[in-house]
Amino acid sequence: MVTHDNGGTAPEEHATSFLGRTFWNTDHKVIGLNYLWLALISVFLGMALSLLMRIHLVWPGAHLPFVSRLGNTPEHYAALTMLHGSLMIFIVLTAAPQAGFGNYFLPLQIGAREMAFPTLNLLSFWATVASLLGITTAFFLPAESGLKLWVVSVSLFCVASLLSALNFSVTAIDLRTKGMTLPRMPLTVWAWFLTAILGTLIFSILLAACALLLSDRVVGTHFFTVPQALVGSMPFSTPQRIPLLWQRLFWFFAQAEVYVAMLPCLGITSHLLSTFARKPVWALRAVVLALGGVGLFGFCIWGYHMFESGLNPHVPLVFASLAESLGLPAVILLASWLGTLWKGKIRLTTAMLFAIGFISLFISGGLSGLFLARHDLALVAVSDEFVTGHFHLVMGVAATFAILGALFFWFPKMFGRRLNETQGKLHFWLTFAGVYCVFMPMHWLGLIAHSRAAGGNPVASAATVRNFITGATIVTIAAQGIFLFNFLWSVWRGAKDNEKNPWRATTLEWSTASPTPFDNFGAAEPVVHRGAYEYGVSDSAEDFVPQHLAPEQAPEKIAEQGR
Amino acid sequence: MPGAPVLDEIKIIIEDIGKGGGKEPPSGGDGGGDGEKHGRPGPPSPRRYYTGIALGIVSILMFFMALASAYLVQRATSNRWVPVHLPAILWANTMILLASSATMEQARKRLSRADLSGFRTLWLVTTMLGLAFLAGQLVAWRLLVAQGIYVSTNQGSSFFYIFTAVHGVHLLGGISALIYVSRRNFETAKVSLSIAADVTSYYWHFMDGLWLFLLALLYLGK
Repeated sequence: MVTHDNGGTAPEEHATSFLGRTFWNTDHKVIGLNYLWLALISVFLGMALSLLMRIHLVWPGAHLPFVSRLGNTPEHYAALTMLHGSLMIFIVLTAAPQAGFGNYFLPLQIGAREMAFPTLNLLSFWATVASLLGITTAFFLPAESGLKLWVVSVSLFCVASLLSALNFSVTAIDLRTKGMTLPRMPLTVWAWFLTAILGTLIFSILLAACALLLSDRVVGTHFFTVPQALVGSMPFSTPQRIPLLWQRLFWFFAQAEVYVAMLPCLGITSHLLSTFARKPVWALRAVVLALGGVGLFGFCIWGYHMFESGLNPHVPLVFASLAESLGLPAVILLASWLGTLWKGKIRLTTAMLFAIGFISLFISGGLSGLFLARHDLALVAVSDEFVTGHFHLVMGVAATFAILGALFFWFPKMFGRRLNETQGKLHFWLTFAGVYCVFMPMHWLGLIAHSRAAGGNPVASAATVRNFITGATIVTIAAQGIFLFNFLWSVWRGAKDNEKNPWRATTLEWSTASPTPFDNFGAAEPVVHRGAYEYGVSDSAEDFVPQHLAPEQAPEKIAEQGR
Repeated sequence: MPGAPVLDEIKIIIEDIGKGGGKEPPSGGDGGGDGEKHGRPGPPSPRRYYTGIALGIVSILMFFMALASAYLVQRATSNRWVPVHLPAILWANTMILLASSATMEQARKRLSRADLSGFRTLWLVTTMLGLAFLAGQLVAWRLLVAQGIYVSTNQGSSFFYIFTAVHGVHLLGGISALIYVSRRNFETAKVSLSIAADVTSYYWHFMDGLWLFLLALLYLGK
């Protein structure tokens, strides 16, 4: 009998110093938390940049800390956009739901004690930190060397993501505990696994594109004939100047990258809805297939970003059909979410509110996606601001809602404390209203830009709308202060909650102590006996059956039902 | 219903076999050292190394496919494409690399027959052949430079240098793995010698095949 590493709330540590414990620790939980801290820093930095951009759009003459010092040129505005995008896409949307929560909870949910390759995991984390530093530093350098550094940093991020994705896939394939068969995997695990597979494929492509770009810039090759047009690949400049080859490689990556960011969020949403509606996920297997479908279609529709680039005229039709068929898995997911909510005993915790908010944003953003998937419509009817509104709603904000929901849900397991629910709800409603006020008017701006029949003066009304957007942005970003305070306060001072399973949830992470002990499950190997979503069970003291409950311990009727 | 739990158990067992979920029973030998730290359960299944290298190969293949598609697209659309005349030494290099794959297989055969010294000798030969290949590639670069063909001369030459350089870097990774396998004391390692040799050999043969593919691409692109 081994007792020394079964220490409950006093986990055994690798090292005693703070640095050793926090930064050189190969424990998947520490690495996961570090990724989340990294994302937190980046998201606030990225938000500050978006605020600068909005203010600059409305009051171009205003004296701003960054923009003014950099000389108010279009190049610097583009650089600002690029930094905002790089931080948000790479460090926040790609890293937080996958590498952050995934690192922490993938091994826990499948009953493993570690990732498959812990040292590799630490290496991925540090490569990500280095790339974040590089991306940020690049902004302050002169354009030429800044772009070189940016490309190197992004390559580094690709390598980090590849190693991380490899680790995730192998962990999900080979480290599942006894009884954790594929049909019993929680949807979060499915989502992390599928994302990892997708990541293994697409980050290689961005890495190859970056290698070519870097050789253009460093050794003077001519893969992309107009290399300096990289600056112009941001949505605000003319797309015609971007070399076709770069477009192909970049969009092949970038369109799938959207799903790398979204897939874990889809899984998290399904997971939260089932837990807080106290009902099994409706049409579970269809949802797994739909998640796979999102990944597969996401991999195939890159071409629809290139409608304007002079492809063979039949090609857009193919891509448009593929892009629209992405609606199929989306509708399956939506049906499952609504089916799960239907007649559920819904508990409106903050985590649940964010999950429902995710659905709302997913629908709104998804609908405008239909306009963009039609190449003929996309070409003539809408302009850049429509696209900006669309992808911020469906990708940026929706994914952020899933991340926040996950944070409220798993916070007790990670810190042994709770986030304040009142502040959480206030933050939710302000953010929810705020993001609609920011991004919905952008759709309208995008539509009137091409409007030929507009009576009156579209420019004047557009200016009013832009002012409104900027005002809404300021309010929404101010509301994030509530979250920041709530989060930081709760990490160190929040209400203690060492209950193992505060949400009455089924998956394996809730079978161990809060916060999670160093070795995850103590001396005993967890064994899984049933599926992940056995909620709403009537004839027992609790309305759920956790995955680790053996059939002989379960009430008779449940034992009969089997899985 | 006394029979139901038993049925359930059977179902679980069947699923376990069918889906490969969960761990294999702890296999003796590999690992060690890790066991005590985690208490009763042993280290994770060594199967993870095989899965890891398989996925790693897929990922690297994607990387080279992206480069290859860039090559094909540029080749087809460029109106100022100048082909590179491949130096003859490339054929010798290819033979050397193929030979290294053969000696590696021989080495693994020795290892499975527990002929450790034979394994070490052949493994060393494989490493040397790998280094010889890289040296040969450098010679090929020197030959091109002597003709005045540099990396930025034209698109064809750019792709030639990029392909050989990137493949060389990946092969260097393989050579590091070869050296690791021959130097590491596997008494104290998490992984056993035979697994390390297996995984290294899969990667090596993949690098071998990849070179043939790249060579074919460059040759047919003339």
